[in-house]
Amino acid sequence: MLRRAVLQTFRQGLAQSFFKRNAVSLSETTVTHQTVETSDEGGEKFVSTQKTGDESGNTVIVAPPEFRFMYPEFLPDPAMETRNRLKEKLERMDMLQRRSVIEIPEFYTGSVMAVTVSDANSPNKFARFVGICIQRGGSGLRAWFILRNVVEKQGVEILYEMYCPLIQKIEVLRLERRLDESLLYLRDALPEYSTFPLDMEPERRLNNLVVPINPLKVKLRPRPWLERWERQNLQGVEDLNLPQRFYDKAEKVAKPWEKYDLMLHYRKTIPAEEQEKIFAEVQSQLQQQELKRKMRRRRGSDNEQ
Amino acid sequence: MATRITDVHGHPSCRLHFWWMLCAVFVHLEETCSSLEFVWNSSGFGLFFNHEQIRTMSRVKRRTTHPPYWHVLKNNQRDDEKISSDNLCFVREVIQDKYKNKSPIKGSDLDIEKTVWDPKTKRSGVIARNIGVQHMWEKDGKKVICTVLHVLDNHVVRYVPPEEYAKSVIGTKMFKNRKPLGCLVVGAEAANPDRFTRQYCSLFDEVGLLPKKRLARFIVTPNAALPPCTPLTAGHFVIGQAVDVYGKTIDYGFQGVVKRWGFKGGPASHGATKFHRRGGTIGTGRDKARVWPGQKMPGHMGSERRFNRGLKIVRINMKYNIIYVKGTVPGPTNSIVQIFDTILPRRRFTEAPPHPTYFPPEDGTLPQEDIWDSSLHVFGSPSISV
Repeated sequence: MLRRAVLQTFRQGLAQSFFKRNAVSLSETTVTHQTVETSDEGGEKFVSTQKTGDESGNTVIVAPPEFRFMYPEFLPDPAMETRNRLKEKLERMDMLQRRSVIEIPEFYTGSVMAVTVSDANSPNKFARFVGICIQRGGSGLRAWFILRNVVEKQGVEILYEMYCPLIQKIEVLRLERRLDESLLYLRDALPEYSTFPLDMEPERRLNNLVVPINPLKVKLRPRPWLERWERQNLQGVEDLNLPQRFYDKAEKVAKPWEKYDLMLHYRKTIPAEEQEKIFAEVQSQLQQQELKRKMRRRRGSDNEQ
Repeated sequence: MATRITDVHGHPSCRLHFWWMLCAVFVHLEETCSSLEFVWNSSGFGLFFNHEQIRTMSRVKRRTTHPPYWHVLKNNQRDDEKISSDNLCFVREVIQDKYKNKSPIKGSDLDIEKTVWDPKTKRSGVIARNIGVQHMWEKDGKKVICTVLHVLDNHVVRYVPPEEYAKSVIGTKMFKNRKPLGCLVVGAEAANPDRFTRQYCSLFDEVGLLPKKRLARFIVTPNAALPPCTPLTAGHFVIGQAVDVYGKTIDYGFQGVVKRWGFKGGPASHGATKFHRRGGTIGTGRDKARVWPGQKMPGHMGSERRFNRGLKIVRINMKYNIIYVKGTVPGPTNSIVQIFDTILPRRRFTEAPPHPTYFPPEDGTLPQEDIWDSSLHVFGSPSISV
């Protein structure tokens, strides 16, 4: 009974809080909820914990559903042949250790970020790169993301491994999402869509609760392209204006039945029950780290004053 | 010389053609002048032709699906569905009564002789499970791939002294021309006795152990012998030492010649008719007029016993019994492997390791939980500035 109720809240929470930071608890008839909010006058983000009641009366901590989007690298690779619970647990411990040293902020594809890396060949020994995140992937300590920018009319993409100890600092200059999960089409787009000033300042957002979705539609350069964008169902590109035969071939080659293939999607994702367990394990430590950072920042701003 | 020698793609092979002519001349000469001395090499005309002599043991059977004949039957063959629920409960109670009151074994309980370690000592190995691969970074920022090995609950089942072991089937083969060594039988992964046969369980009854899913033999020198019921843990190894890991490689099944032997196959296009991933020629046609043994062809690939030698241990987690080893080991994830001290001469022990094995300190002080090699970057420490 509890499991079903908890799962229902989890899934409904997923649907509702897809863009919202604050998970609004939905009341169920049998289970009572308590939201514990840590608010902050600096207008910084806060994370809520849902505590659901157990049958015996003990509280069971359930991490908010948006953890799945904020920290996707904590979820392991779904391929069953190579999964081992003990190894995943140890990897998560190592990831939390690394996160205690450096702040790896929440970001999505489409956010503009700046990464400072220790580089022996640089004049200052540190290399800073600013770019838009066009793709992110990997799980565990292998998690990576690609930043793209156009520097002196040359497109540059750099793949960073999130947990590499050479990384000194990761800043999110503009936190937003785009209409697609992968922005690889920026390679074929006009260069202005990938250009960001290297000395860009971090932008403060008006509404801290919601991660905005930028509904920008990007204009592509004339063909030839690196990929067949007409076959990929992209939302963030302007009308491609191709001859009809391209769209006909795309229809011929398309696999419309895949959206009904439940097993395919099941195999590609970690089940909700497991996700709950994983994030519950990891949540308290992440919250502690958040609090420590806030304290440090507050102390730092107090010292300045 | 009527036959045209061509190579795989149908082009006339001029080089071979020349040698054929040369051979024809020699053959003719020999027929006419029998006193002509010609040094034949062991392969006849093989030296003149671009054919590598295969000297592998290709006729030795490398894989079996059954255990050796001297093993007892292991898994329970009985059909248990007809047992009533009451009887099932009774069976469970019997098992519990038999194996309860097993307290963890301390070093002081076992009577281990105080033996001295010397560089020629061969210590016991350990049975572990390969649970995956994790990336770690060295202090200069270089990424290394480390295999995570989970040392299962190993216990020594029995020790066979050298004189006795030399008389066994394997012992006679192994110690034909050398001094015999002892054998330690180690078991890992305790399981419910229900699933095994009585004969298999009796192997463990003498020492009072729960039957183990996996058994292995480790060849040891007599001074590294261990009494039965000795636990072997991750602390048996030392940080920075080199180990050899033995396992069964990934089973690829029946594979073609391109994947199995790395052949190039044929062109994908340009008119190639039904020749893309095939082997091509398998013989010369003239010399020996047969296919040489060991000719590389499609067949079963993988599932073979292999050693990866000289892998360095970079991290040990004493709490979870985990060893991180730099490099990869044979076999897929979640497969069982055996870990030994290395035999490579330059990476052997110079100082004494935990001999004959490691025991946690008696005074209750816990050992350091997570031990890292000095070359590795610890995750909790500050970022690297090169």
